[in-house]
Amino acid sequence: MNLIRSLANLVPFELARGLALTGRKMFARKITIQYPEEKTPKSPRFRGLHALRRYANGEERCIACKLCEAVCPALAITIESEQRADGSRRTTRYEIDLFKCIFCGFCEESCPVDSIVETDILEYHFENRGENILSKEQLLAIGDKHEASIAAARARDAAYR
Amino acid sequence: MTEIRNYTMNFGPQHPAAHGVLRLVLELDGEVIQRADPHVGLLHRATEKLAESKPYNQSIGYMDRLDYVSMMCNEHGYVLAIEKLLGLEPPVRAQYIRVMFDEITRILNHLLWIGAHALDVGAMTMFLYAFREREDLMDCYEAVSGTRMHATYYRPGGVYRDLPESMSRYEPSKWHNEKEVERMNADRQGSLLDFIEAFSDRFPGYVDEYETLLTDNRIWKQRTVGIGVVEPERAIALGFTGPMLRGSGVEWDLRRKQPYEVYDRLDFDIPVGATGDCYDRYLVRMEEMRQSNHIIRQCVAWLRANPGPVMVDNHKVAPPHRETMKRDMESLIHHFKLFTEGYCLPAGEAYAAVEHPKGEFGCYLVSDGANKPYRLKIRAPGFVHISAMDEMVRGHMLADLVAVIGSQDIVFGEVDR
Amino acid sequence: MTRTVTEIADRLKQLSGEFPGGVDAQVSGLTGELTVEVGAADLIAFVLRLRDDPELRFSQLTDLCGVDYLEYGAEGEAPVPERPARFAVVYHLLSMKHNQRLRLRAYVAGEPPLIATVTDVWPSANWFEREAFDLFGIVFDGHPDLRRLLTDYGFIGHPFRKDFPLIGKVEMRYDPEKKRVVYEPVSIEPRVLVPRVIREEGYGD
Repeated sequence: MNLIRSLANLVPFELARGLALTGRKMFARKITIQYPEEKTPKSPRFRGLHALRRYANGEERCIACKLCEAVCPALAITIESEQRADGSRRTTRYEIDLFKCIFCGFCEESCPVDSIVETDILEYHFENRGENILSKEQLLAIGDKHEASIAAARARDAAYR
Repeated sequence: MTEIRNYTMNFGPQHPAAHGVLRLVLELDGEVIQRADPHVGLLHRATEKLAESKPYNQSIGYMDRLDYVSMMCNEHGYVLAIEKLLGLEPPVRAQYIRVMFDEITRILNHLLWIGAHALDVGAMTMFLYAFREREDLMDCYEAVSGTRMHATYYRPGGVYRDLPESMSRYEPSKWHNEKEVERMNADRQGSLLDFIEAFSDRFPGYVDEYETLLTDNRIWKQRTVGIGVVEPERAIALGFTGPMLRGSGVEWDLRRKQPYEVYDRLDFDIPVGATGDCYDRYLVRMEEMRQSNHIIRQCVAWLRANPGPVMVDNHKVAPPHRETMKRDMESLIHHFKLFTEGYCLPAGEAYAAVEHPKGEFGCYLVSDGANKPYRLKIRAPGFVHISAMDEMVRGHMLADLVAVIGSQDIVFGEVDR
Repeated sequence: MTRTVTEIADRLKQLSGEFPGGVDAQVSGLTGELTVEVGAADLIAFVLRLRDDPELRFSQLTDLCGVDYLEYGAEGEAPVPERPARFAVVYHLLSMKHNQRLRLRAYVAGEPPLIATVTDVWPSANWFEREAFDLFGIVFDGHPDLRRLLTDYGFIGHPFRKDFPLIGKVEMRYDPEKKRVVYEPVSIEPRVLVPRVIREEGYGD
């Protein structure tokens, strides 16, 4: 019995079974996605590049309460503020250092007026030193450009927040 | 008279089989290892010191980055330590969600391990297959937390948000037409729980595929059987935990022995090895994946039947609902207080451990009553395992070193912290 | 035969007479965890008892770490209890036989702080002690290979001591003129946005 088994072991059956499996997979349906023409689905909770939002009348939402600055674990946010002529408090400087940011989402969670958000943008790059720091103008511009998708994702997830 | 020459060789830190930034200084007699001296710390970020400078909640995100292939399990150890000192009990639904995601994380971790381990030993296919399944589980991560890896999802008192009722879907493109996209979206029609259940239906078949490729494979066995043997008593003395300990035949699993969350209500088996070599540790981890899948199915069934809150109602610890915060003055005050100062823990100390995919992940927290930890010590399983590297590889060939590193399942994020 | 945490605490109190420095065993009301304090002079005799006594059998050292109590409770108004020394070594032990954990604390006096090694009792202490030496400067007498572990080659100081700044003391960059990496005094400013506060019990209720 042992002799038969030893002789049978000389033939690599298990390797053949493995090869048969990979052979079958070779002709199976592919799961590959052809990025960038097509993309994998993204959750409405996705945390990507930051943006500052405005109200429908064009007024910026941020009231410089500095909650996001305090809650940022990486100290990536820097805010300076001033009182405007109409008596309302607004930021004069709002910067996010994307090299420091760890994309934890606490800034969005803390914002009482839904101003700072993490959008679903994941494709961005820098070419020069210093471009990693997003200024207030850049953040507002990102918000203006993508307001529709930002609002849609927030609406989809509103029940859970 | 033959001349005997020993070689000292530097291995890493940039070596594909070093699983990150491991530098090994090896003393070799021909191809036989006389001594291995691991140099770690190349990824040291002083997470524990950083945590001392931040309110408790702000460190959750840094826990993800310790063992960056089992993110939520790290968070779990940390929030359990905080909850222990606060005397806080999260709602049962949150406990089930945590257990489900712990097990999803265990599968994620073991998939990366089997892929990388097999690749080191010479089997390319495993890596591709394992990453195919990881993709589905990463989608589960993204659906609940918004990120595919660094989730920041567990909070003291529960989890951040409930499981979503719908999944995002693929859209038609020039590569895939409507009909093909409909097939790709077949599992994405329902809720996240439906998606996870569909995965858990498929997954045992996938594990069978891996086993077809490896378990009886003579090359795989030649590379792993009898390599890096650790006796059970020695494994305990060396501080081994998790699959490294169970591979040596010690039946010790915190999920069963010191159950946390709802593990005492779930049915699962603890696989145990016999010889304590790389092959047995492989078999233990393969079986653990099947058991995790079994646990996930039980959690899905329970979570379907029992909706409810996923966060405690105590606004000293957990922020109020967004809608309430915008309407109610007191909630707004709680919101501001929590996101600026955080909360204070009573003075004292606590040690909380979870059965992490790699072993016992513990957090030792010393509080002096402040809103930041006084001292946080993270007990990482990989740190203990790699400290026994020298003992495990002595007398083995150089090529076996790679098999031992693979079977220890080392990740440098947690070793170096 | 498993033992409850109080049975283990009682057993330790029985043993207390054997050790001249005394053994202080307490079960925390908050967490239910057993914490034992022992004098550094009695450490080795005591841990051997912990490991080998059939009613204890703490066969595994799961964790060992240093703690620096320099600024403990500094922000609070309540008086801080006097401690025998600034540094302590905290051992976390596990008894698989009785399924119990135990925390052992030994205060370490002197500069550099000096305490006996437990590597001969539990080999897993080896790297943990190297780590505590690296980060806190606690010297473990009799350790077979007490080298730095986590910090950079040539690092100066012990970074986890409370008087070591969070931003560090040096930073490094590549100098294109010297064509090598150079170390310079740190240039970043420390930034604390949320101060450390200690609130009295029942605050805000």
